[in-house]
Amino acid sequence: MAEEDDDPGFDEDLDDVGNGVDSGHGRRKRLFSKELRCMMYGFGDDQNPYTESVDILEDLVIEFITEMTHKAMSIGRQGRVQVEDIVFLIRKDPRKFARVKDLLTMNEELKRARKAFDEANYGS
Amino acid sequence: MADPCRVKEEPAVGVEISDPSQPVKQEDGETSSTHTQQSGVKEGDKTVLSKDAAGVEEEEEPHSSGQYPSPAKKLKVEPEKKKEKKHKVDEDEIQKMQVLVSSFSEEQLNRYEMYRRAAFPKAAIKRLIQSITGSSVSQNVVIAMSGISKVFVGEIVEEALDVCEKWGDTPPLQPKHMREAVRRLKSRDQIPNTKHKRILFH
Repeated sequence: MAEEDDDPGFDEDLDDVGNGVDSGHGRRKRLFSKELRCMMYGFGDDQNPYTESVDILEDLVIEFITEMTHKAMSIGRQGRVQVEDIVFLIRKDPRKFARVKDLLTMNEELKRARKAFDEANYGS
Repeated sequence: MADPCRVKEEPAVGVEISDPSQPVKQEDGETSSTHTQQSGVKEGDKTVLSKDAAGVEEEEEPHSSGQYPSPAKKLKVEPEKKKEKKHKVDEDEIQKMQVLVSSFSEEQLNRYEMYRRAAFPKAAIKRLIQSITGSSVSQNVVIAMSGISKVFVGEIVEEALDVCEKWGDTPPLQPKHMREAVRRLKSRDQIPNTKHKRILFH
């Protein structure tokens, strides 16, 4: 616990500038700090998660996205990232696979609904 | 529209006690078993119904094809039964979720709202992917990637909460919990890593 009690306000400043001691991507500005905090709370963490934990998560997420992108670029149509490639890469992980399928289905439904709504408006 | 609710809200069922360390165990076990079911056979969706709030998988629904006399007949009847069952499952599921959410305490409601609403900003994800590929990506790719990343965060946080509880610590997760969670997930191959090339027959 001692490491986190080290004056979190000061640490936060350091992180903004780019404290690359713990995290490899420290030089980049923090992209998802706010959203990750909300997410961690939603998934069961405390209402105010530690900044260091949020940083670790951000690095993990960026690394995850990078890996997925590189893999997707190497399969299917080379050099491009397409949805089919992502779905293929995810096929073994049931949770993520189901989630992607649902998101894409929902998106299609929303697009259809919006289109129908617009046409109805245009008609009247 | 009910389909996404089913998948999305499953994990939230475990968050029913204000003490965050407790429900996580149920959440974790329930989610993994739920989603293994869902990704498998669609008929297996009935188990989602019978799952009680304790998060224990009550019945492993046997593959319904076992009830049918012959494979040819099974092929004909299956799609209709599948659709009917799925429709019933969705309705019951929605109702159960409503009952559950209506009985949440204020803190649980807050947490549930955060759980549903938190999302990665599409612009930032799109920028990140495009900076890696060098070419533009479609909107669907961004949607898929943000969705997967959120699930990924969820897996890590749940594992970290497990670790935290196991080590006898309290909630605000510390980096050591996160690192141990990552180590565990890596050993289960849930974290992609293409940096280290493994030589097969050395």
